[in-house]
Amino acid sequence: MTETRALVERLPNDIGGVKSAPIQQVEHELLPWEKRCHALADVLDFHKIINTEEKRRGVEALGAEMVNALSYYERWIVAFANILFQRRVLTPTEVARKMDEVAARSDDISQAAKA
Amino acid sequence: MHESNEHGHPHAEISHTERPGYYEIMETAVRELLVEKQLIGAGEIRRQIEVLDSRTPALGAKIVARAWLDPDFKARLLKNGRAGCEELGISFYDDTGLIVLENTEKVHNLIVCTLCSCYPRPVLGLPPDWYKLKPYRSRAVSEPRAVLAEFGTIIPDDVEIRVSDSTSMVRYLVLPRRPEGTEGFTEEQLAALVTRDAMIGVIPANSPAAENAP
Repeated sequence: MTETRALVERLPNDIGGVKSAPIQQVEHELLPWEKRCHALADVLDFHKIINTEEKRRGVEALGAEMVNALSYYERWIVAFANILFQRRVLTPTEVARKMDEVAARSDDISQAAKA
Repeated sequence: MHESNEHGHPHAEISHTERPGYYEIMETAVRELLVEKQLIGAGEIRRQIEVLDSRTPALGAKIVARAWLDPDFKARLLKNGRAGCEELGISFYDDTGLIVLENTEKVHNLIVCTLCSCYPRPVLGLPPDWYKLKPYRSRAVSEPRAVLAEFGTIIPDDVEIRVSDSTSMVRYLVLPRRPEGTEGFTEEQLAALVTRDAMIGVIPANSPAAENAP
């Protein structure tokens, strides 16, 4: 019972005061898509489509396994997609089709570049 | 998770011929669908990237240097951080409030966001990775002296450490103590001593002696 109690009392993001490792002073320049993802978050907030608090809850709702496995902006974009599905702003099918289109487009560009 | 070296990061070499990854494709797809549905404007992302690029710790350093030089400004800044910044022409692009926390002989301030990565972005830019990772977020509130020691900062036992946990609406900025030996310094000279990490509270402002050291 005590093992599951911790799961109930603390959601994956709620880690203040938890024992943890020494701090590694890591930082990196954002990749172009990460910066676009950050800008997208701000623009979604400006338009009152997804605010900061909703974004945080969206990340939390991914669950501990995904939160631990995905990088920071990977979590954001997956959370945005999920929230937009729940709001019926986008559908999973639409996003899947568009992702195929984007992937095919970048394959075309890379074929053209190799030719 | 991510490498710390600036230019040695393997992803920095991505060329146009390399296929974007799964999450990058997802980002492009979601963005393009939102533009197609006219929920966001096509140019808004690019304009917001320009805003993000314009926000660096130099803005925070200017605020700190002005506060060190102008006691009336400092009083206004401590009363209302956001209004103080706006007085210097630093706009806030979001709805967040800002509380400026003054370090003194008796109190050392440290900022954190235990739940995620809330940070005074309008005045410092984007946070470093370590600020967003578990060790800092979890330990800053429970063992701040040990955390500070890992940054090389030893706070005497008779100095109180106050840790402020940021929220989506309220952000914090540390006003470090003015270093000794800076009498007669200009605002620009003072600002050069103020680093991002000093305004997070993990280190003091640089002393002029350290700046001149080889």
